[in-house]
Amino acid sequence: MIKITELEKFYRTEEVETIALNKLSMHVDTGEFVAIMGPSGCGKSTLLNILGMLDDPDEGSYVFNGIEVAHFNERKRADLRKHNIGFVFQSFNLIDELTVFENVELPLIYTGVSASERVKRVEEVLDKMQIMHRRNHYPQQLSGGQQQRVAIARAVVNKPKLILADEPTGNLDSSNGNDVMELLTDLNEQGTTIIMVTHSEHDARYSHRIIRLLDGQTVMENIMV
Amino acid sequence: MFKNYIKTAFRSLYKNKGFTAINILGLALGLATCLLIVFYVVDELSYDRYNTKAERIYRVNEDLKLGENKVQYSVAMPPLAKTLKAEYSYVEDATRIKRAGTTHVKKGSINIVENNIAFADASIFNVFTLPMISGDPKTALLEPSTVVITESIAKKYFNTTNAVGKFILFNDKENFKVTGVIKDIPKQSHFNFDFFVSLESFPESRSNEWLRSDYNTYVLLKNAKDHEKLAASFPALLQKFSGSQMQSELGMSVAQFEKGGSYFRMNLTALTDIHLKSNLSGELGPNSTTQYVYIFSAIALFILLIACVNFMNLSTARSSNRSREVGVRKVLGSSRKYLIFQFLAESILVTLVATVIAIIAASALLPFFNQLSGKEITLTVDSLKWLVPSLLAVVLVVGSLAGSYPAFFLSAFQPIDVLKGKLSAGFKGGGLRSFLVVFQFFVSILLIIGTLVIRNQLNFIQTKNLGYNRNQVLIVKNSGELNQQAKVFKQELASLPGVKNTTMTGFLPTNGWRNTRIYYKDATYDQKKSLFPQSWEIDADYIPTMDMKMAAGRNFSKEMQSDSSAIIINEAAAKFLGFADPVNKTVYQSLGGDRKDGAPNVKECHIVGVVKDFHFNSLREKIEPMVLTYGQNPGALAIRVSPSNISSLMAQIKDKWNQLSPNVQIDYSFMDQDFDASYRSEQRIGQIFIIFTSLAIIIACLGLFGLAAYAAEQRTKEIGIRKVLGADVSVIVAMLSKDFIKLVCIAIVIASPFAWYVMNKWLQDFAYRTTIQWWVIASAGAGALVIAFITISFQSIKAALANPVESLRSE
Repeated sequence: MIKITELEKFYRTEEVETIALNKLSMHVDTGEFVAIMGPSGCGKSTLLNILGMLDDPDEGSYVFNGIEVAHFNERKRADLRKHNIGFVFQSFNLIDELTVFENVELPLIYTGVSASERVKRVEEVLDKMQIMHRRNHYPQQLSGGQQQRVAIARAVVNKPKLILADEPTGNLDSSNGNDVMELLTDLNEQGTTIIMVTHSEHDARYSHRIIRLLDGQTVMENIMV
Repeated sequence: MFKNYIKTAFRSLYKNKGFTAINILGLALGLATCLLIVFYVVDELSYDRYNTKAERIYRVNEDLKLGENKVQYSVAMPPLAKTLKAEYSYVEDATRIKRAGTTHVKKGSINIVENNIAFADASIFNVFTLPMISGDPKTALLEPSTVVITESIAKKYFNTTNAVGKFILFNDKENFKVTGVIKDIPKQSHFNFDFFVSLESFPESRSNEWLRSDYNTYVLLKNAKDHEKLAASFPALLQKFSGSQMQSELGMSVAQFEKGGSYFRMNLTALTDIHLKSNLSGELGPNSTTQYVYIFSAIALFILLIACVNFMNLSTARSSNRSREVGVRKVLGSSRKYLIFQFLAESILVTLVATVIAIIAASALLPFFNQLSGKEITLTVDSLKWLVPSLLAVVLVVGSLAGSYPAFFLSAFQPIDVLKGKLSAGFKGGGLRSFLVVFQFFVSILLIIGTLVIRNQLNFIQTKNLGYNRNQVLIVKNSGELNQQAKVFKQELASLPGVKNTTMTGFLPTNGWRNTRIYYKDATYDQKKSLFPQSWEIDADYIPTMDMKMAAGRNFSKEMQSDSSAIIINEAAAKFLGFADPVNKTVYQSLGGDRKDGAPNVKECHIVGVVKDFHFNSLREKIEPMVLTYGQNPGALAIRVSPSNISSLMAQIKDKWNQLSPNVQIDYSFMDQDFDASYRSEQRIGQIFIIFTSLAIIIACLGLFGLAAYAAEQRTKEIGIRKVLGADVSVIVAMLSKDFIKLVCIAIVIASPFAWYVMNKWLQDFAYRTTIQWWVIASAGAGALVIAFITISFQSIKAALANPVESLRSE
């Protein structure tokens, strides 16, 4: 599904040039659950952003589902993104002014799904995430665990082929964190590819494969059994 | 999709209730104020436009220069109207109007004082659009002893508008037949009469005198363009018709007359220019000036700008709070186009709400504003025709401008940057915002200085020594009614306790009669040295009653028989004549025409005294030369009373009046009130200025309040860290206030010289004026600083007092 080759990304300030990704190559197959780990500043988030087409690489190739996307413009990327990729963030990133239902509904609006179909699909996914009873609440009325469920519901409502999760349990206690990991595992078992950045060895154990980064390079890959 | 945007917009607005309220109310307040001023300006500009032929109507004016004296009249010679119509084929019609004095109109057994009576030619209804409810406009004023009245007068005297054929008794002696009832004349007219009496009733209206001017004369041209042709033909016309009369009256030809540096010219004023641009001698009513139209338009624009700037400032400041929403939306697949649309739509929606509130507020405040401005503005369907489109334009422009920053700026960000909070420091680098704050305070300071200068000038007028004492002087305005009895009335009043002094004359410094005469300095009768002063007929009690002071010589005396040829001049006249010691000098009053030896007909006058200059015109004008002659003029009675027990004195005076004239009501006023009335327009302007200035400042402060709150909020974490590190509350307040105070200081520096320049120009209109003191500028600046500081520190102190643990934990 994903194949990146010799990917490079620099950050320049006036004085320093930082290499975030240094000729990084990797591939992820459809249906895999991959965890990316590494110390702060190793380039995990940069990699995830590029994979999610929120950012573009300076050098190298990124083939998504057989399409070279490395030099796509923003509009094309946005188009590809909204149909194929769902995001889960550490800080949830729900819109405070919208209810649970409306937050989850957003991606469907942007992909032009009809209103009646939207209601059906949002209810379906809220049900699955067991937050149906909270559908008319606002994000700030929910606990962290519940907010992350909503965020996951929003990520999956469009039935994306790939979910990118950036430390999804980082702001949660361990019990809520486990719930979230269970959810992701379920999704993966139903066929969704998942790439997750995490600091937590515990969370990483849910994945099939761990890619460890250091200074923008892959230093080790562990295959979980 | 659209619904989703609206929903987010509403909830986001609701969540930030404080901001939203400040934002919407500020804009609504600004728009409402602006609307009221626009109503005022539109009203001023609409004068006389009710006339369907307005564009083709011109008034003929006269410019007269005699020696060094120049006078401009809005009135012309009796035969001019008919001559113009007869001589020029492109003059469709011409008509004359002349104001009548105070007149009594009989209703039942009582006489009612009416002031709005005019004499008019029959052609008035062809020239002006004065729709007739009953009667025939073509013939209504053709016959002598006919009168056309307005609807309200018809109802007042006959209880019906169907008054044609009824009779009106003027001054207890002249019976006039009503031949027409017209609709009331619109307020927006330079003349406003209730009765039009046919000029045919008076033989003098058929006078052929070309050296006399007493009729406001209007021409209706077939084509408006011909006004230039008409104006160009005036010199030849005057030569043709006034030449021979000048020869016989003044003993010289027009050429000789002009050789002496004098002239006699005519010119035209377009009907629609009269209200705002004409202020000549003999106007049919008080006119306004374009100056205030400009000043108010500028204020309206300024207030609108301040309000819009606020709106934009607060909207953009708040928008960076929404960068996260933008990020999320972009990650989820929203295109930039949609985001731009979202922010613009939201902003336009808010502007629309503010506009609706503004319209409601403006119409609610309209009666109050009318009272303040002395107008009678009403909103009609007609005004909606221009109001609605222009308001929609304002909504679109302001809404788009305010929304454009978040729309184009935020939507351009990389979503991942926004989500990571790299742009949360949205307040810094607000160069545009700083500029806008400076602009707002620039305008506020300008208005504060303007208000202070106007107040100072009004105060100057109120307290200036006018050369006479206007306090505790009662004026009986219609003592002329008493005829021979007037003298008796004066004597009876003089004996009342509480009456200090009485004088009988229609010539008063506040209002009343005016008269000019020609005086030659010496027996050469040289025109160039002739004096063209006000010439007032007064009695010996005038100067003491008015509390005027003599500069030299003596007052008139009842005992001196020779005083019939004595005159008292004022200092201005003395200066003009150039006598080192004017007392006992002789000057020659022109009586018109020539003696047998060819010299002008004159009367010798002996100067017995010089009265100190006193103001008999507005303080806008310099004191002109004045000659006081001795006589018995019954026009009005001025009574200096002692301040105690005025009410019982008034009762006694009325009692005496009623004994002498039971049928006519006494018409009186106090001199100081008359004086104040002549500065009412300045007082109104002053009041309106104060109100608008306060509003501008409130709106500017609302904006500053919002911005300060926002800045404090943005820096919550910084404040927390600083406090943990040991910063005092005062240090933090200073830190937060500094940036804004700097902006206000910049505004003061720019606004002060500008305001000084503008207000100095305004003061130039007054011949007698205050200067702009340094403290006016200083206190305006200090005031703005204090207000700004209070506004900001309210927020700063709140932020500085907050518990740092709270602000740090929330991050």
